[in-house]
Amino acid sequence: MENLFELLQKDIRFEEGLNACMNCGVCTAICPAAEFYDYDPRKITDIVQTRDDNAIMELLKSETIWYCGECMSCKTRCPRGNAPGLIIMALRGLSQDLGLFTESEKGRQQLAVKRTVGDSILNTGYCVYLDGITTALHPEQGPVWEWVQENREKLFERLGGNYKGDGPGILRKIPEETLDELKKIFEVTGGLERYEKIEYYSKLKAEEMDLDLDEGIDNEYFRQIYTYNNGCHTR
Amino acid sequence: MKIDGKRAIWSEYQKDIEEDHYFYVRSCIRQNFFPGSEVAFLRIMRDVLKKDVYEHPCHTTCSGIGYHGDVVPVDTAMTVVARQFALMTEAGYKNYVPSCITSFGLYTEILETWHHFPEVEERVRKHLRNATGREFNIPGNLAHASDIIYKFRKEIAAKAKYTLVNKETGEPLKVVDHIGCHYSKMFPSKGVGGAEYPYVLAGMIEEWGGEVIDYPERRHCCGFGFRQYLVQANRGYSVACSREKFESMKPFKPDMILTNCPGCPMFLDRWQYVINEMEGTTYGQNGEGIPVFTYEELAGLVLGFDPWDLGLQMHQINVEPLLDKIGIEYSPEKKFSLNTDPAVSKVKHFAKAVY
Amino acid sequence: MNKNVVVIGAGVAGMEAAGRLAIAGFAVSLIEKQESQGGHLNNWHQLFPDRRDGKEVSEYLRKLTQNDRIKLHTGTSIEKINHVKNIYAVTTSSGEVLNADAVVVATGFDLFKSSRKEEYGYGIYDNVITSADLEGMFQSGKIIMHDGRAPEKIGIVHCVGSRDEKVGNLYCSKLCCVTAVKQAIELREYLPASKVFCFYMDMRMGGSMYEELYREAQEKYGISFIRGKVSEASEAINNKIKIKVEDTLVGRPLKMELDLLVLMAGMEMSEGGKRIAAVAGLKTGENRFFAVADQHYGSNNSNLKGIFLAGTCVAPMNITETISHARAAVSEVIDYLNSTEKQRNG
Repeated sequence: MENLFELLQKDIRFEEGLNACMNCGVCTAICPAAEFYDYDPRKITDIVQTRDDNAIMELLKSETIWYCGECMSCKTRCPRGNAPGLIIMALRGLSQDLGLFTESEKGRQQLAVKRTVGDSILNTGYCVYLDGITTALHPEQGPVWEWVQENREKLFERLGGNYKGDGPGILRKIPEETLDELKKIFEVTGGLERYEKIEYYSKLKAEEMDLDLDEGIDNEYFRQIYTYNNGCHTR
Repeated sequence: MKIDGKRAIWSEYQKDIEEDHYFYVRSCIRQNFFPGSEVAFLRIMRDVLKKDVYEHPCHTTCSGIGYHGDVVPVDTAMTVVARQFALMTEAGYKNYVPSCITSFGLYTEILETWHHFPEVEERVRKHLRNATGREFNIPGNLAHASDIIYKFRKEIAAKAKYTLVNKETGEPLKVVDHIGCHYSKMFPSKGVGGAEYPYVLAGMIEEWGGEVIDYPERRHCCGFGFRQYLVQANRGYSVACSREKFESMKPFKPDMILTNCPGCPMFLDRWQYVINEMEGTTYGQNGEGIPVFTYEELAGLVLGFDPWDLGLQMHQINVEPLLDKIGIEYSPEKKFSLNTDPAVSKVKHFAKAVY
Repeated sequence: MNKNVVVIGAGVAGMEAAGRLAIAGFAVSLIEKQESQGGHLNNWHQLFPDRRDGKEVSEYLRKLTQNDRIKLHTGTSIEKINHVKNIYAVTTSSGEVLNADAVVVATGFDLFKSSRKEEYGYGIYDNVITSADLEGMFQSGKIIMHDGRAPEKIGIVHCVGSRDEKVGNLYCSKLCCVTAVKQAIELREYLPASKVFCFYMDMRMGGSMYEELYREAQEKYGISFIRGKVSEASEAINNKIKIKVEDTLVGRPLKMELDLLVLMAGMEMSEGGKRIAAVAGLKTGENRFFAVADQHYGSNNSNLKGIFLAGTCVAPMNITETISHARAAVSEVIDYLNSTEKQRNG
């Protein structure tokens, strides 16, 4: 079997993201995640360049690879042309493909991302769609959003939207044939396989944690991963 | 601060932006949170500037939020994007204009990747063929919608009803510009003004009479961070980032914040509300928040569009103090009116028409 | 031997080469595009590692080049270099054609233009200066911020324009570390109340007595050395400079507010050197400096017979190395002219 470093090298983002790191810390210095979390993208870059499979395995199971916000500020500055953000994306991809993401609290959240944004893409053709953005999931949206949601049909009409309508325009209904094309793309490119793996390994984890997990977002496991924070991630 | 130093840098990052005939691609987030902005973009382009902008009814998400949420693999994202390019090709267009910065960044990244790794482009062409039977050309020109408004900022100024000047004091309004991270941080040469001193919004502010505020955390991310906001347990990251920016800009007493990214205006707006609820802190003047705008909203205001046609009632931070400073006429009682009056049916036509 | 040699560039290397060639009996034309000779040394207050006055070395070079066999052409640049048999016809900007039996190229270096590291805001933020600007302040005796007050908290950024793919310079400029240490010490002497921080990636103190100077900077002057490359600078409302860096030895991001930020500008192939390369057909390397015939035993030899290279037009060097390299070039010139003389007589 290929070792983990070789598997990472198959990811084009890893190829683009890692040349050689001299540990100058320019990435960590401006990293929003490093400011908030106990996180250091320089160290991750340094670990992967050791090509040490045990160390990479630890990363794939770790909390730390899930702290990055993918703002890519690191890419602007690195004097060696590395992009720790792209390395992180490759690590996250591999962690999910190997089912290691459920080993960490932050990694387990991938099911929440999959069941909200991921499913929205295939079901609506949008990453996010009005009906799913509730103040229950997004209390920070505030009272104005309550008003928007209560009046969404009239409001979007009033603003010139095309909410659930045919043809082009804002929040139009994406035609079934188009959604079929998206699904087909996900099928031939490994997108569906990724979704299935996230579901599969999450179900195993839910059983292990003795939490109920069925479809959708109204279940114990989803609520747990969506809201739980052990409070030990920040500096 | 020496502005000449910035001008020297700005002059080095000139970007080719086509004159006309744009293939417009919408933003998932903006359609939900800033519908008035995309409507205003098309109104300005078609009605004010008389440009040809085409919107294909079958375009979709670029999958970028899923890609950066790490649930969508890179080949999948590239093929979804390739399908969008195919729609552009089939419609006979070559100037691709995304409304979203995450999309713009993803398109830029993909085009760069294909440029350096042609075998990846070939693989994606095969994927798209197998999945949809479609073929595509690479866009001749890729410009973000804010690049387009930047390009025509002088034309907009020439038709302006208002300028970014405090009508009481005669002083230019102090405007903070916030650029979406994926606009030019990944590929500085692809953004107007580069990555360190982007000019895309600063150029609009200057042209329309305002004063650009540079503050220490100007380049800092708003705090979207994809999974760091999408998952409730992580939102401390998101609000902490925004808070850092507010704290840093506060001493400069900005009148408003101008943005070009889908998520940023929403976060900079909503997190001010949350911080006020949690800590009682406000960052604007007179105990108010700092109003946050998209570039289309600002262009629309300058051109004299009705604030409530622009969707400014969907902001959590009240925009009225800013409207009053400029002297923009508006009807307070119509703010939350849901009646679609004749003026707006004109707006509606922009959403429905296929050119 | 009645031979003519043209030396291009009257900085440290060119002056040393010209002086030694004249002593050896050659007629030398020393060409300098600036209005006066001396090069970068003119702008340097004190030299590392011994802190001697730069003027003393300038004076040595000035005396060395006061020789009847040297004709100095200042304010003069090179238009053309044509090679006919064993003679190089060097056309100057004044229209003069100098026939040379050999040419020594000593075009030196340019300081990296620090405004190219956009994130540090040189030329934008009022209190961001370069190492060269600071030398100017030392010469004038006034170390001040933009508002005329003395700075109290000063940061020094190493590797500005060096070891940096983003500006196309992969190499180490070699002298910025010791310059930083020297300037930090001088700052502490001028401003005893100040606190000085050096931000470095690696302390490259390879020269004679450099490490000792570094130690003195820590022990005697209390200068702080923080291992991390400064990521960005910005200007606060009070005109102070805010920087972001990682203290990589602690593994923590660090923000600091400074009165003054000094950028250690690296060395680049000079624009003048690039011009000479183009007009003479001299090869340059990937780092854009002149390519030498052999890295180990031919570092004064170019790809053209009869054209020799001296000093920092080949690679970053300190003054000691530059003078040695110029002398070695002279030795190469002498060997070359002896051999062409033998060929002709033989």
